[in-house]
Amino acid sequence: MGSFLSYSVAILVSLALHLGLLVLLFVGWHPETTKVMMQPQYIEAKLVELAPKKTAQPKAKPIPQKAKVDEARRKREEKLRAEKKRQQKLAADKKALEKKRQQELDEKKRLAEEQRRRDEQEAERKRIESEFAEQLAAEQAQINAQEDERMANSYRQLIQQRLSENWSRPPSARLGMETLIRIRLVPTGRVVGVTILTSSGDSAFDRSVEQAALKVEQFAELQGMDPALFERKFRQVDVAFSPEDLRL
Amino acid sequence: MIEENLSIWSLIVNASVLVQVVMGILFIASAISWVMIVQRGIFLGAAQRGFREFEDAFWSGVDLNSLYRDLTQRAKEDGGSDGIENVFRAGFREFNRLVQTDKADPEAVMEGTDRAMRVALSREDEKLNISLPFLASVASVSPYIGLFGTVWGIMNSFRGLAMVQQATLATVAPGISEALIATAMGLFAAIPAVIAYNRYAAMVESINSSYETFAEEFSSILHRQVHAH
Repeated sequence: MGSFLSYSVAILVSLALHLGLLVLLFVGWHPETTKVMMQPQYIEAKLVELAPKKTAQPKAKPIPQKAKVDEARRKREEKLRAEKKRQQKLAADKKALEKKRQQELDEKKRLAEEQRRRDEQEAERKRIESEFAEQLAAEQAQINAQEDERMANSYRQLIQQRLSENWSRPPSARLGMETLIRIRLVPTGRVVGVTILTSSGDSAFDRSVEQAALKVEQFAELQGMDPALFERKFRQVDVAFSPEDLRL
Repeated sequence: MIEENLSIWSLIVNASVLVQVVMGILFIASAISWVMIVQRGIFLGAAQRGFREFEDAFWSGVDLNSLYRDLTQRAKEDGGSDGIENVFRAGFREFNRLVQTDKADPEAVMEGTDRAMRVALSREDEKLNISLPFLASVASVSPYIGLFGTVWGIMNSFRGLAMVQQATLATVAPGISEALIATAMGLFAAIPAVIAYNRYAAMVESINSSYETFAEEFSSILHRQVHAH
């Protein structure tokens, strides 16, 4: 009877539903991809930034100036050398060489002049060219910096985690205490020194924090790290300890 | 390293072949089960409405012969009929035929009529139950299929994790997320099917029991008639 009609209605409804779903997935609906930082279980160890971040901008510019300085220095050295030569040969054949030396000097001067002009032109051309290159480099540098920052963050998280694992809570630990310690590391990740920068006021808590850092002994994960990054950020690591999640 | 863009669509496209196959199966199952859901909804709704209308007509005191003629006429025009009127027509036709034969024994007449109605009833029951088994299997199996896809996907992403030196959450998370889509799709296919199956099974049962009740009532009316002769 109406079965054909009901089937076609049903097929249409089903197709519409599923196509709608596909369109929804394809076009609009992205899930939020925020990254969640893992909270350590009992303690939060915050790293204090050691040095102001280097900006990537100024890197590109100094090169032409440097070239100029080099040029000047080179010229000075040449002059000096010429002077020395002159003094050496002064006794032997002063007059004959006087002319020759003058010629040589002139020649050298001329060459240097030419060289400088060429350099200047080169620098000019480079500057125009580098309008783009500079921006590109800046962008690249920013990306690199971000990448560095991300790496550093992941290492920081590792350090936090390891410290939290090795920390044993003294009975006197209370919420709101905070101790700032400085951990000195070598590139193998070994802890070579721990000093307390700011005490929490409770010596047992301070000691426990210090002990935690000493107990870690070696952050083996830091071994594979880029040496430059290590020097910049992890030679000395400042960590702020404050107990969290305590039921006291 | 890993793309930032983790839209669900890109996860599906980048999934491994097996997971994609699983997702495809589930998608098709979901589409077909929705066809069934809508079609069954229309059909069962029509059957319930048809039963109510027929009962109204039947108990309105109309002459059974003319009701029979009307219904047969309508069935001829529509090219077949569904529902309770089939039971009525089968019973009434058989009854008339048996009564018109010579030396009709009342017991034999009732027996034949009842048999004809039983046959019609079981046919109607069959019609009501079409595609409910399919919904039941989609409801029960598709979560497992989805789970299979998920387990496979997670297995692969963990195998990948074993290869890398530095294992971070970011190396496994996309794989797991991708794998979990399979479970989501399994549930997406299963939940409507479960709901529809339960609802329709209940509807079919209630329709069937009202058909049977009607058949009994009709049989008792005919019984009275045949013994009054």
